[in-house]
Amino acid sequence: MFGLIKTWKALEAKGIMGINRRNADYVLKYNKRHLYPIVDDKIITKERAIEAGIDVPEMYGVIETEKDIDKLDQIIAGRNDFVIKPAQGAGGDGITVIADRFEDRFKTVSGKIVSHEELEQQISSILSGLYSLGGHRDRALIEYRVTPDTIFKSISYEGVPDIRIIVLMGYPVMAMLRLPTRQSNGKANLHQGAIGVGVDLATGITLRGTWLNNKISKHPDTTNAVDGVQLPNWDGFMKLAAGCYELCGLGYIGVDMVLDQDKGPLILELNARPGLNIQIANDCGLTHRAHAVEARLEELKAKGIQEDAEERVRFSQELFGHIVSKEV
Amino acid sequence: MRSLNLHLKVLITLLVALGVLITAYQIFILGIPVTEDETDDLWNIDARVEFQATPREPVKLQMFVPPLNQDYVSLNESFISNNYGVSVNRVDGNRRVTWSARRASGKQTLYYRLVLTKRYSGEQTPAKGPIFRDSIPVEGPEKIAAEALLAPIRQHSADVETFISETIKRVNNANDDNVKLLLGGDASTVNKAKVVELLLSIAHVPMERVHTIRLQAEVAQSPELWLRSFNGQKWLYFNPESGEQGLPADRLVWWIGDDDLVSLEGGRQAAVSFSLNNSEMNAIRLAKLTDENTDASFLEYSLYGLPLQTQQTFMIMVMIPIGVLVILILRNLGGLQTLGTFTPVLIALAFRETQLGFGIFLFTVITALGLSLRSYLEHLKLQMLPRLSVVLTFVVVLIAAISLFSHKLGLERGLSVALFPMVILTMTIERLSITWEERGGSHAFKVAIGTLFAATIAHLLMSVPELVYFVFTFPAILLILVGFMLAMGRYRGYRLTELFRFKAFLKD
Repeated sequence: MFGLIKTWKALEAKGIMGINRRNADYVLKYNKRHLYPIVDDKIITKERAIEAGIDVPEMYGVIETEKDIDKLDQIIAGRNDFVIKPAQGAGGDGITVIADRFEDRFKTVSGKIVSHEELEQQISSILSGLYSLGGHRDRALIEYRVTPDTIFKSISYEGVPDIRIIVLMGYPVMAMLRLPTRQSNGKANLHQGAIGVGVDLATGITLRGTWLNNKISKHPDTTNAVDGVQLPNWDGFMKLAAGCYELCGLGYIGVDMVLDQDKGPLILELNARPGLNIQIANDCGLTHRAHAVEARLEELKAKGIQEDAEERVRFSQELFGHIVSKEV
Repeated sequence: MRSLNLHLKVLITLLVALGVLITAYQIFILGIPVTEDETDDLWNIDARVEFQATPREPVKLQMFVPPLNQDYVSLNESFISNNYGVSVNRVDGNRRVTWSARRASGKQTLYYRLVLTKRYSGEQTPAKGPIFRDSIPVEGPEKIAAEALLAPIRQHSADVETFISETIKRVNNANDDNVKLLLGGDASTVNKAKVVELLLSIAHVPMERVHTIRLQAEVAQSPELWLRSFNGQKWLYFNPESGEQGLPADRLVWWIGDDDLVSLEGGRQAAVSFSLNNSEMNAIRLAKLTDENTDASFLEYSLYGLPLQTQQTFMIMVMIPIGVLVILILRNLGGLQTLGTFTPVLIALAFRETQLGFGIFLFTVITALGLSLRSYLEHLKLQMLPRLSVVLTFVVVLIAAISLFSHKLGLERGLSVALFPMVILTMTIERLSITWEERGGSHAFKVAIGTLFAATIAHLLMSVPELVYFVFTFPAILLILVGFMLAMGRYRGYRLTELFRFKAFLKD
């Protein structure tokens, strides 16, 4: 009992945010319920992003009804690689990544050969709501396949590493690089076994990471050190993330982005309830940073100023960046 | 945000205060018992009057019955007699029943029965009585003896109370010659009372005889004589044998005054025998009974005013918030993962019908089989709705099979799976399989265990009889619960599991 109280006090002193605080002070306060569909439906997110001029993977087509499945050929005509996704899928389920064509069939990234019928069956499952939250009818999205930048080769195992930035009222507060592992089956979700690596907001240099709630400094599959890697085009990521506030109107979001070999930083999806493990990855609590942003907002409100994305990024980088890495 | 917090605080304070006030009012002002086990003695007093009627003569028998203006409440009173007319009238603070018949012969038996309890009496009327009386005239040696006795009594007493008890003590001193003279060789209580009265009258202290019945079961008894006197504020009761003051709690005043218990015309050898027995009665039921006999109608607007069938339903319903509270605490304070908020409460309700052990067994077996069927169906690549329909049908068949087998094996327990638990089970499987699809098998397993755990705790708490009684009797408690739940709505502290989840922060 006494030990637990001590743990509590220590966590509080470090400003570690718990689920209750996240829900009460941030998610419920800043995220209007009626705006949720914008982030829950990837197609709406994408449409909004295109309108706002924010880079997203190109959308090849949308299949809404069973009859639309016939259009699949038309959509993928002339393309060798593409991704089929449920619009309202969660946790990366139901995503098929086609890397190449093989005679009349398709080849997934993992090398499995699937037939045209199997692909149609997969789309039909998506439409019936097999992967959507709560089993509602869903839409299937066919889009550009992201080729991860080679920079991640050394510290990643399969799959596409992505970058998550928590954005509070347009101010990036914390960032993490999510690397798939053998255990996570190429998925970049932390609770499925991917590792999260903190990123310095100012420089884009990786810090140490977290894996299954533990702190780590090496990738469990490649055993390469995960810290000290310079992420390219970091300011691009930061601007992209900060701009998402205007895009969706939600005040507290997790922005998931990828770094494409050819197209640079792209927004994959937005999350209205971003997880808390990012704190372990950065070895830093969210609460203090969030309070700093809230104080800044108060200050600006009093002056009647509204900052644009670039200014917000600068503010965050100055205040939260340049972390001196501790030696283990 | 701050105004919202203030608003919330005011609301919580208001709700909790209201809940506490109403409950306190019920407990302390209305005197509703706090636990169901609280029982009250219910006394059943029979007075049996026997006499020989004189042939060809009208019979009139009068007997005192308790005046019932004290701490006791009569629940039922009956006069049992064949061919007798009965009337009850009040005389000088006493109640007297008159049985009368034109003609009766032989041995006659009349009954008076009183059922009473010592609770929930109405307001006490302020007592009043005489504080002065004239002396009883005495002459010769008696006068001298009385005065000789009174002199030390006066010396040893300070007020009416001590005066009377001193007098009684002196009269009970059998070695005192003055007392011997006054008693005249008759040392019965009645005679002692008479001497006490004489002595007190010389000092102008009024005194009344009080005839009491001792509330003690299975003991043959006759009315016991007590003396009482009014000291200007209240009546003081004295035991004429010992001089001790204060009427014990188990005495019931039957009548007051110098008259005999019965007076009979047209008969002889009247004898009264008392028999008492007591039964214990659930305090709340007793309260309801007395409610009908007194003007206090405090239970009328409680849940006890509902028909019995509805009451039983409400006994379950008022416990649901308790169950929800358990889930709330386990989830938001403990960090336990469950299937939604209400599902564990529903499962806890289902446990009511299946019993806990068997319920857990049933839940586990059926859910496991249902989920394994689901994972098999996944290979068939069925769409969601048809697949769920198959699972639900399978569950129904499974429950039917379990019921049938256990019935054949002579285990009636298996038949306890009524419609309600079945619906809950199928719902649980559906939700669990959705969780499985969304978050993976290990998470679904964790959630299932969490749900089962939460449901067990909720069930155990919801079936504590004392708690059920308490919440049902004092529903205002629910307001306090709502206050707590509102407070929980803005709780930002850590959950217990988070203290372990974030342990990595403390390593360096």
